[in-house]
Amino acid sequence: MTAVTHTLHRRGNVESLSDDYVILVMSAKGINDKGSAEKLKRALEIAARHNAVNFGDMKNGNLFRVGSKVVFDGIRDTSIVHAVYTNKKDLCESLADLKEADLGMSVVVSGLFDEVSGCLETIGMKPHTVQFSLGIFGKQDLLPKEEILEITTMCGHHQVSPLLVQKLLNDVRRGKVSPEEAGRTLAKQCVCGVFNPVRATRLLCALMER
Amino acid sequence: MDKCTECYACFRSSICPTDAIKESALVWPRSLRPFFGSVQIEHKETRVPGRGTEEMKTNDVTGRFGYDKIGFSVDIGRPGVGTTFDDVEKIAMAVAKTGAEFEPMNPVTFFMADKKTGRIRDDVKTEKIHSCVLEFTIRLDRLPKAVNALAEVSKEVDTVFSVGCCCKVSPDGTILGKRILEENSIFHRPNGKTNVGLGKPHAEIR
Repeated sequence: MTAVTHTLHRRGNVESLSDDYVILVMSAKGINDKGSAEKLKRALEIAARHNAVNFGDMKNGNLFRVGSKVVFDGIRDTSIVHAVYTNKKDLCESLADLKEADLGMSVVVSGLFDEVSGCLETIGMKPHTVQFSLGIFGKQDLLPKEEILEITTMCGHHQVSPLLVQKLLNDVRRGKVSPEEAGRTLAKQCVCGVFNPVRATRLLCALMER
Repeated sequence: MDKCTECYACFRSSICPTDAIKESALVWPRSLRPFFGSVQIEHKETRVPGRGTEEMKTNDVTGRFGYDKIGFSVDIGRPGVGTTFDDVEKIAMAVAKTGAEFEPMNPVTFFMADKKTGRIRDDVKTEKIHSCVLEFTIRLDRLPKAVNALAEVSKEVDTVFSVGCCCKVSPDGTILGKRILEENSIFHRPNGKTNVGLGKPHAEIR
């Protein structure tokens, strides 16, 4: 299952999304993919060192499931690597270093458009192509509550079950796990490593107070 | 079992303490489910790798989306509801009438009996899947028509779908697709995806 739109439809308002940015790096099949593994590895090294709170690649898994070494060792020409940040500063510095490295790989940022545009401007870059989310159509009554969706949609392949969120929320309430542990458990489920465990922890804490 | 989409999240989570959840051998057409459900599986029978394509993510290198077209990605069954190809067909046929051109390398297109009308092959129609991506391009000026068609058909399906649309940013920074969305009061979220143009060799965009 290739990533197509897996970071596009993250839910939440502007305030809620202000600590959620994802970088994706990949080669284009049949054009610049041959010998791209080393470039992708270099890109992930750069992306990870700017305080990334999660990273991974779809085929190998993420930081929380398989650990850093397996992620890096498993990078191939066809890999799609990701890193997650909780603030604009880390995102901007990561992008600036990726620009400097000039690896020739495609880089896509997911996050608030205004913040991402501002970041690009400060480092002398311009958006090339943009993708908008027009939201969810159809039978809305089949969906879990919005506050649960804010958590589960951080895994675009929907490998994070709303029932698991509810279970962990109950576990946190009973003192069986900390909110941080619950955030990391949820992050394990998202193979690609695009789930933001820090935001999930914050959202779980907010749910606790309701 | 009918409702299981073979996403294998249960295996990956190691949730069962006695290891009682077992993977069973799948036969056609159920064997297509993991292809659309499990993140890490590619399906042998379709020979088309993945749930979708590179789409806008490599547009700086491929030049697939120029200034005069909008690329749509309709994630049917997402988030977390699942769908059948019956509903996929309804949506595909609705957008086909507005001039949609389906992406030939996309696995949903692979399962179309008629790639002009969006009609799906009979042998897969009742299969329940986790989600799939219907990808198509449409002329820029037809963007509102396509969105209207999606809004109309959304009343006829027994699922949800998440809609995305992408376009090339003009050299002066204008985003024509965004302008059309706003002129037609079409809702779009404050967050989305931005290809920052670092890929090489640069594609010539027309």
